[in-house]
Amino acid sequence: MKRAWTILVFALLLGFVFAACAAPAAPSAPGEAAPAAQVRDFITWYQYDEKNEDPASDERVGNQYLRDTIPQFNEAFAGKWRWVNQPKAWDRMTAELVAAVQAGGDVPDLFEMGSSGLTELYKNGALQDLREWASAQSWYADMDPNALQACTGPDGGLYCIPIAERPHLVYVWKDRFPEGFPTRPEGYLAAGERLKAEGLYAMTFFGSTDFNGNGATRAVFMAFASFGGGYDDGQGNMLLNRPENVAAVEFLRTMVQSGYVPEIAFAGGFQEEEAFKDASAGSFPTGLFGYRYVNPLTAPNGTKYSKGNEEDMLDAIAAGDVILRPFPAPEGKTPGCNNEVTGFGIPVGAKNPEAAHDYINWIMSPEQNADWVLRPGAGFPALLTTRASEQFQTPFYRQAGEVVAASACRPWHGSLERRPEALRLIMGAVYRLIKEDPSLDIATELQRAQDEYNAGG
Amino acid sequence: MQRTEIRRKPRNRFRNLLPFWLILPTVVVILAIQVYPAFYTVWLSLHQRQPRGWDYVGVDNFQRLFRMGVFGESVGHTIVFLIGYTTLTLVLGFIIALLLNRKLKLSGLYITVLFVPWIIADIIVGIVFRLLVVPDYGLLSGILQNPAIFPPNGISVLTASRPPSWFGGFPFPPAPAMIYLIMASAWRALPFITLLLLAAMQTVSNEIIESSRMDGANGWQVVRHILIPLMLPTLVVALFSLTLGGMNGVGMVFSLTGGGPGTSTEVLSYLLYVLGWSQLEFGRAAALALLIAVVNWALILATLRITRVEERSH
Repeated sequence: MKRAWTILVFALLLGFVFAACAAPAAPSAPGEAAPAAQVRDFITWYQYDEKNEDPASDERVGNQYLRDTIPQFNEAFAGKWRWVNQPKAWDRMTAELVAAVQAGGDVPDLFEMGSSGLTELYKNGALQDLREWASAQSWYADMDPNALQACTGPDGGLYCIPIAERPHLVYVWKDRFPEGFPTRPEGYLAAGERLKAEGLYAMTFFGSTDFNGNGATRAVFMAFASFGGGYDDGQGNMLLNRPENVAAVEFLRTMVQSGYVPEIAFAGGFQEEEAFKDASAGSFPTGLFGYRYVNPLTAPNGTKYSKGNEEDMLDAIAAGDVILRPFPAPEGKTPGCNNEVTGFGIPVGAKNPEAAHDYINWIMSPEQNADWVLRPGAGFPALLTTRASEQFQTPFYRQAGEVVAASACRPWHGSLERRPEALRLIMGAVYRLIKEDPSLDIATELQRAQDEYNAGG
Repeated sequence: MQRTEIRRKPRNRFRNLLPFWLILPTVVVILAIQVYPAFYTVWLSLHQRQPRGWDYVGVDNFQRLFRMGVFGESVGHTIVFLIGYTTLTLVLGFIIALLLNRKLKLSGLYITVLFVPWIIADIIVGIVFRLLVVPDYGLLSGILQNPAIFPPNGISVLTASRPPSWFGGFPFPPAPAMIYLIMASAWRALPFITLLLLAAMQTVSNEIIESSRMDGANGWQVVRHILIPLMLPTLVVALFSLTLGGMNGVGMVFSLTGGGPGTSTEVLSYLLYVLGWSQLEFGRAAALALLIAVVNWALILATLRITRVEERSH
């Protein structure tokens, strides 16, 4: 009898364990008909969340875009695909995908990505080469070759499909520079001195080492490139210690040490934006997409742009309070800027790559392409015919187009493959030189960062 | 007789094996979530990822780790953080426990209020503490950055450079951000440590304390010669908990300082996070994780050893 009880208890325990471990049944909404057997889920990872309806969310534009287009896609592919989006944090998506691929876990059919993260995904074997498929599509010939190049891996494979290009430029409060935004670094310094006397700042920028040195993709690269420098030698090696870069660091150091940049520029967490929002800083070099996050705004003349969304910056530009300009460059040099590509990758192990193909072709259609570029893309279209469309003739896009035409924009990483490591080393060195210890020798510090990267291969 | 023995044998075997079957699920879980990841970490630390798969690289990941300029700095920051964090938390926890042990009016309310920081996630504590001191815009920045209050230029906690080091490359005195990080971490850990010490304090017999007072012992002597020795096992547990939590915790650093300004609050656990999740260098991250595990073990063994010596001497 005792034995029977023991066996019974043991069996019950096992039952509980198995019940707890068993996969839960998929919940179905009451009254919802079971989907047809042939309809398969098309899983995407976006940094946006269609279920987040918070109007104050930083990602409201992308969230709304998904809310609008998921039903459209499902209608266009009724009976074939059902789009299921799984939102991911923008600065964790790459790591999560790599972990999922390497662990053999569930991966999405389509992954929203930027060209900056391409080499890490490539090195970790997380993305499929799409060259063969893409080159057979009708839109391929219409692609900006630079955008395709940004999606090309070290082995020549095409690891992402570019949809939008995001150049960097300078947002400027026009009234803070009554004689026009300077085109030369000396003019920028002179404006800094004048503004300082008024208790204001010439520039705010991402000056901290936060987000793994992401600041090195923004104003710091604009300064380096505008002085004729850059981060690599074109052969995969870091090349920091060169006269152009030293001059760029000297310029940034003077801006910071002279008090032309607010302290909040170094606080991290994108808090440098605050100084532009209240116009205490006259200019803000950052990505074109920055307009979406920098709001509400108060112009130097007191005008408030306070919808609290991306329209504030667009309104300020339309009203002429904010203008877009290239980064100042020394005599004989062309303003430089970073240009990254955003688009889609298809992970290794995706269950429905055909769904991703259908989706990409759908996004490339004239009805969808401009919408994607304008909303989640926040850049210029990689498809050349879309660039000519009416949506890209607004004051914002016209000015941005002029800035890009006057600049030499290129991906910050050049031929560098270990991009996160490079970012961290570069931004660490620049931060030490311009903020932490301005007495350090610039060439020596740049050489040190360069040597550490090049020794790491 | 023989038939009875034969019948008993399976029953005995079942009884003998029953403990094994009962602990089997636990063993399986421990193997799956602790032993396997530990071995996998060792394997990872000896490999490097390439597009075609994993390459065996021997100790290259360790060598690259030691070549990183920030590695040595992180070791220094970790030491400074751990000493500051454990000392501040234990001292404050002990003082608050002493006060609460006096059977004050509303002491239940004080304990409840005191417990609030413990129930807030460290990442939230970091964000709140950060918002207080954001340069120019933070709630306290008007006070902190006021040169009249903090001459000559005021203090910008999140962006102030570290002062010149007193000991070569060792990061002491720490940057204001490191001091603030220690304060925020201590604030969060304080309730648990206080309650732990209060519970231990309440087990010390009042008779011993009263008789020592009758013998002329002052307050400090009671603490030094009675309370601390009698509470030593609890103090060691508190020290363990704080040291291991401080060594491995990353949430507060992540949300409060992001390792900055520059690298001045970059501790080893944060470097591990950066290597693994920002740089996707799983091999090097695994190498660092192993080093941290070894240090953890060394700390535990050293503390146990010290405690045993102390206990014997008392």
